[in-house]
Amino acid sequence: MFGYVKPELSELTMREFSRFRAAYCGTCHELQRSFGTASRFILNYDFVFLFMLLYEGTEPPELKMRRCPVSPLRPKCVCCRSDALTRASGLSVILAYDKLIDDVSDEKGGKRTKAKLGKTFLKGAYRKASRLYPEFDSEVKLRLGELNELESEGELSLDRSADKFALLLASASNDRVKNHMLYHLGRIIYIADAYNDLKEDLDCGRYNPVAARYGVSSLPCEKNVTEAVRLTLEASAGVLMADVELLSESYWTGIIKNTVYLGIPKMISAVLEGTYSAKPARLPRREMLKENGDTI
Amino acid sequence: MRDPYEVLGVSRNASDAEVKKAYRELVRKYHPDNYHDNPLSDLAEEKMKEINEAYDTVQKQRSSASSGYSSYGQNSGEQSQGYGSGAGSSTQYNEIRMAINSGDLGRAESLLRAEQNRSAEWHFLMGSVYYKRGWFDEAAGYFQTAATMEPTNAEYAQAYNMVNRGGYPYRSTYSTPTTGGSDMCDVCTAMMCANMLCRCMR
Repeated sequence: MFGYVKPELSELTMREFSRFRAAYCGTCHELQRSFGTASRFILNYDFVFLFMLLYEGTEPPELKMRRCPVSPLRPKCVCCRSDALTRASGLSVILAYDKLIDDVSDEKGGKRTKAKLGKTFLKGAYRKASRLYPEFDSEVKLRLGELNELESEGELSLDRSADKFALLLASASNDRVKNHMLYHLGRIIYIADAYNDLKEDLDCGRYNPVAARYGVSSLPCEKNVTEAVRLTLEASAGVLMADVELLSESYWTGIIKNTVYLGIPKMISAVLEGTYSAKPARLPRREMLKENGDTI
Repeated sequence: MRDPYEVLGVSRNASDAEVKKAYRELVRKYHPDNYHDNPLSDLAEEKMKEINEAYDTVQKQRSSASSGYSSYGQNSGEQSQGYGSGAGSSTQYNEIRMAINSGDLGRAESLLRAEQNRSAEWHFLMGSVYYKRGWFDEAAGYFQTAATMEPTNAEYAQAYNMVNRGGYPYRSTYSTPTTGGSDMCDVCTAMMCANMLCRCMR
């Protein structure tokens, strides 16, 4: 369900690209440092975005040159030791783990085995994270529980189901602007994911909020359904655009604006056209001018 | 108070035209239309006030004696329409409209649910509650019902168009903001280029 929120890489400046890579690698390193090697595998763009959004201030975070299993020879510039980084990785572990629990009860066959395996794998990391952020953990559990209830009742309102997931994500920040942005991010992720999963869910007769709302029973779905989903997704994306201008200036503002103005609209169009593929996150290589630990 | 030039995002020696352009761009960005029914609209209003004050200050500083200028929405009290005065709204919904305006959506919804008479206005207000909450799909349904029940009402028609227009309300001419800090690099690069040129000439 994660990996939808990412910047439009080709539109980033070189400086922003270096920064983004430092954030991406930094999240991965922080997961390893605070929650163990297993937690590294949950890394995706959404969690990196969460880190950038939670970060406060225009000062750069501490940057260091670090090697890692993916790049064992050439050290990379990596963000380290920031409160936002620890918090974002902790919340990510909790989100990923609770999603796996959910999958174990929802899915069948191969996917279920995979989720079960992942759950065992991630247990240690989750225990640490939930001890650090118990209030977020209980919020996620509460909302996912409510969501499961709605899904098992076959809830017809798309907004009502999406609201649960949106509230869950929104609880990651108490800042008014960030909280509101996270709400709409969650709403977009939930609805886009549901649309993306239509085929799979219809095939195995599972509940799908978009199918339930618009009475979709076979694919491809009618044009007016796609248009209705587009309207509702774009309305939330529009709110993000308005909100992002109210965000206090931070070190990551450029990348966050790129994500909101370009990345998310592009993702929405791709999902609705059926061309979106949630490939595992991997950054393209690009030789950087400032590789040697200079300030970026 | 913050430095007015900083608020407008221009340097002190920017020309009058540049100041005006920056000011217009900011006004477009924080215009109340972009925050219609957004629970953060008060923050946008504050921002707008700050921008107007900064612009006024700069204008006064620059031309204390010259001809008049006008900043946007000096009558800033009139900016937000709210749900106070729907044309032809009946008094029975006044309390609900007040609750919506003050952002107390929970109260507004429970008052609406208790209402027996589900008129066009009822549907419109219900849609507004949902819209403010970010439940755009539900809101669209209620606005549509309101507009069909009373096709002549401009307020309902406007709301219905708003949810069906699609697209993005205001896409700032998105450009990545220039961040400070590159100045030193620029200086260094310029020096290096100059140095190289000097060597070529010798």
